[in-house]
Amino acid sequence: MSEPFVYSLVLLAYLGALVLVGFITGRRTKSVEDFYIGGRQIGPWVTALSFVAAYFSSVVIIGGGGFGYMFGMSTLWIGAINVLLGCTVAWIVLGPRIRTFTQRLKTMTVPGFIGERFQSDFACIFSALIIVLFMIIYNVSILKGMGHIFEVLMNIPYVYGVLISCIIILFYVSIGGYLAVVWTSFIQAWVMGIGLIVLTVFTLHRVGGITAANSALASIDPGLLHTPGVWGWPGLLSFALIVSFGVWGMPQLVVRFYSIKNLSVLKIGTVVATVGTCMALLPYFNGAIARTLFPSLASPDLAIPTLVKTILSPFGAAIVLAGVVAAGMSTFSSVLIILSSSMVQDLIKKGIKRDIVKEKSLFWGKIGSIVIGFISLVIALRPPALVLTLTAFAWAVIASTTLWPILFGIYWKGATRLGCIASMVGGCVTALFWMLAGKPFGVHGFIPGIIVGFLLMVLVSRATPKFPAEHISRVWG
Amino acid sequence: MGPFNTPWLTFVPWIVAFGCVVFSIVWAIWIFKP
Repeated sequence: MSEPFVYSLVLLAYLGALVLVGFITGRRTKSVEDFYIGGRQIGPWVTALSFVAAYFSSVVIIGGGGFGYMFGMSTLWIGAINVLLGCTVAWIVLGPRIRTFTQRLKTMTVPGFIGERFQSDFACIFSALIIVLFMIIYNVSILKGMGHIFEVLMNIPYVYGVLISCIIILFYVSIGGYLAVVWTSFIQAWVMGIGLIVLTVFTLHRVGGITAANSALASIDPGLLHTPGVWGWPGLLSFALIVSFGVWGMPQLVVRFYSIKNLSVLKIGTVVATVGTCMALLPYFNGAIARTLFPSLASPDLAIPTLVKTILSPFGAAIVLAGVVAAGMSTFSSVLIILSSSMVQDLIKKGIKRDIVKEKSLFWGKIGSIVIGFISLVIALRPPALVLTLTAFAWAVIASTTLWPILFGIYWKGATRLGCIASMVGGCVTALFWMLAGKPFGVHGFIPGIIVGFLLMVLVSRATPKFPAEHISRVWG
Repeated sequence: MGPFNTPWLTFVPWIVAFGCVVFSIVWAIWIFKP
């Protein structure tokens, strides 16, 4: 069988499965709570693996391989900190309280929770605005990544790659909502995991094992084998922190704790998510080994595509390709449902005080996801330079805005309304200006953003009036 | 040098990932009480 035929066959089977999930979940999505958080009835395996799939987009697989290729084995630290901080500790620290508190306060969105917990419409609207603005940019970058994958691996023109990906996602998200997102993400996590394991096994076989790969790397440059090696600790650790601790403020990941069925199920989910997140080490590992096989690639981001094309059979390559596409689609769809909820539930209902009758909420949620999906699609077809610049800011700005209000909101009864507002605005502005200033000292804007946000939350909360006891007992139960 | 001729500091990430899996199981079974 010819290569393009095998690629198309595997991709069609995979995309067909996604459309089928859209139809099935569409019949079970009856209320707005179903559409945004799956009616809080999602089981442990689906919650955990859809968390993993939403966490890692194609950018992590292709870009992670690029980092491994450029900086060597020390980049494995990024994957390990992803597992430790971005998954295990996040599930243990955030999971139980977010599940309990958001049900008690009857909120379906991250801005909605912040607004209720801190009794502030401003905090709700400000965080929703930041999320909508920067998440659209994040989504454009994911879509762009998928267009490039189709181009590099399948010779499908960029525009068609973007169109195929976006239209299928819009179909299943607008019909099945959150249920479709988590079930397709569940499938996508398996496809990603199998793809990465297949790639790793064949790469190790080609290079003659780990010991041989290490010797070959050390002969190119010992810095590629040692830690912190070529990159150095400041760059390595500040990058690892943004892609791990930053997760704690990312609504498309935090919302997984809203929707899990109950706390007993959350225990199983924590273990499953931890095992699933371990796949984060594989792109860096394969990228580093690719350096020994192809030492002079034009761009580090070609490391994984080149590995796929040269060492796998057409069927194996098609599996990895489906895995990379799955990584992008699951993240895009998870962000899309967050964008729809922030837009309809927070900005329209709270911001411009347009009450939507309950029966119409589901309809407007679906319309919201389609409109935002099309906006992302149009921008991704010809992304302006400003959007590309802002892509690097997205995680830093969103996490600096939402992280402390979420964390202090569930752990500190003394956190006040003004403390929350000062922390959000201060953290957001600091991260934004730090990135605009070109990352002084090589430090990512997330670091100064969360330092300023933390200090403002603590200092302003200590200096301003506390919430009355009845509000605190309503939140804490 | 650690296993497979890997420097220890470069081998630590694999230990961290494995440790997280073990810890999450311990937390789920013995530590966390709803």
